[in-house]
Amino acid sequence: MDFRGIYDRLRAMKAPGMTGCDEPREKNPEDKKDKGRFGDPYVLVEPALLPAFLDAVRMDAHLAFEMCIDLTASDPSTDDENLWVIVQLLSLTHKHRLSIKCLLPKANPVMPTSVPVHRTCQWHERECAEMYGITFEGHPDPRNILLPDDWVGSPLRKDYEFPEEYHGISCK
Amino acid sequence: MGFLEKQFEENVLTTRVDWLLNWCRLSSIWPMTFGLACCAIEMMAVGCAHHDIDRFGAGAFRASPRQADLMIIAGTVNFKMAERIKRLYDQMPGPKYAIAMGACATGGGPYYKYGYTVVKGVDRVIPVDVYIAGCPPRPEALLEGLMKLQEKIQGSSIIRKPARTA
Repeated sequence: MDFRGIYDRLRAMKAPGMTGCDEPREKNPEDKKDKGRFGDPYVLVEPALLPAFLDAVRMDAHLAFEMCIDLTASDPSTDDENLWVIVQLLSLTHKHRLSIKCLLPKANPVMPTSVPVHRTCQWHERECAEMYGITFEGHPDPRNILLPDDWVGSPLRKDYEFPEEYHGISCK
Repeated sequence: MGFLEKQFEENVLTTRVDWLLNWCRLSSIWPMTFGLACCAIEMMAVGCAHHDIDRFGAGAFRASPRQADLMIIAGTVNFKMAERIKRLYDQMPGPKYAIAMGACATGGGPYYKYGYTVVKGVDRVIPVDVYIAGCPPRPEALLEGLMKLQEKIQGSSIIRKPARTA
């Protein structure tokens, strides 16, 4: 199925938490500030309902997204008040893919964990948690995965400031 | 050796203690197996037959710091690793030497500006004897660095003030 087919199916089955889709479009020639939108089409999902959404599209026979390829996050810009949590799904049965985007407010970046649905998400969520300061509620092992345990701050946030020193080693 | 020469019977050689000890040290610098990133691949190439670091007596890569004389920091050093490097360096018996191999170990390299966990040079943690430029350095460059270190050892002395206090 292509993206249109998947999206129609998601609407027909009333997938939990889906708020719409974000598709590529041409640049509007009259609006000079408009840059258009390139890249992949996304399905927008409410962060609080992401595990329910993943479970629903996994169990649905027409979609059958059994495999979570990636769960990552992105900080689009300092002006943006949302973080993006991006999930890539793959159906091995039907050989089609789906990209999901959750808009998570920077002021309170808390969302439920997807580990009960896809156990792959464990490490991915740990990485998102330390790099972007997102709290995944109910995560079975919420330690840092790459950074030291006592690291302060979320390095991949756009407003991150480098520490002066770490354990006596100067950082600048 | 000046006036001592031809004072003894045949098969007796005379030399200076410093020279002999330095010669022993520089001819068997055992490095520690310490690859951190892509520079380690070049270090492995140096250990293999084509470049053959064993020609300089430095081919016995030891897996323990207690048996090693030289620590080749081959790769990117991050803060998590820096503390381990310090500890391993402290565990090495003296006289001990360190080579910073490549741009990352020398000064942070490509991670200098935005690498939030990269130490901007391993010399912020341990004293370094020889810096090798390159990203990664060619095997010849590592051999050149080793020869530079040998030159440095040649100049040290157990009686006079040492060239560097470890």
